[in-house]
Amino acid sequence: MAEKFCMVVSEGSFDKAMMPLMMGTTAASMGMEVHVFYTFFGLKLLKKNAKPKLPGMMRLFTGMMVGKMKKLNIPSVDEMMKQAKELGVKFYACSTSMSMMGIKESDLIDGAKVLGASAFLNMAADAKLTLFIG
Amino acid sequence: MHGSDNTAGEMSVEKNATLDTKGLMCPMPIVHLAKKVKEMKSGQVLELIADDAGAKEDVPAWCSRTANTLLSVEEEGKVWKFYIKLK
Repeated sequence: MAEKFCMVVSEGSFDKAMMPLMMGTTAASMGMEVHVFYTFFGLKLLKKNAKPKLPGMMRLFTGMMVGKMKKLNIPSVDEMMKQAKELGVKFYACSTSMSMMGIKESDLIDGAKVLGASAFLNMAADAKLTLFIG
Repeated sequence: MHGSDNTAGEMSVEKNATLDTKGLMCPMPIVHLAKKVKEMKSGQVLELIADDAGAKEDVPAWCSRTANTLLSVEEEGKVWKFYIKLK
């Protein structure tokens, strides 16, 4: 039985977008079953065509960061998302946050599943590793 | 020279496939490694080439987690070659 790795993302900035994708793809590459739960502002990251920015005032430098990553051959957020999906990483949207933020299921990326805290906590309860990304 | 494939540390390791991840940084070498391994058969040997600073620790960790065998590692300057025998 594969070990479970759960992550919770509650912020919607660029770094919070990349982190679960990088760790998630790595864990999936190592045979772990990965589940990522997006809530509050993290939900923005699950929207189709999400373009996350660096946090706070640094958002003005997002373009520079993206450019630097490209130079270093680091995959973009979209590319990492694609890799993550290919490796079976599962994405979940918090139902309550969706109502709070006015986000509909049709706004979400393909494959994202809507569920509530109970369902997620049930997964996390017997996970080998659960991380709060931010 | 064909090395005997059951002895770790032999000079020349027989390999069934090569995966070159030079230029890629963590986690991509491991992501590509996992994908490549899915295409291969049990008992085959994969040569993984990497120049990522993290690879030195990442590859053995991956092998240990996934129960694949790291036969040997060669280091040439900043480039590592890992020989992995698939379970």
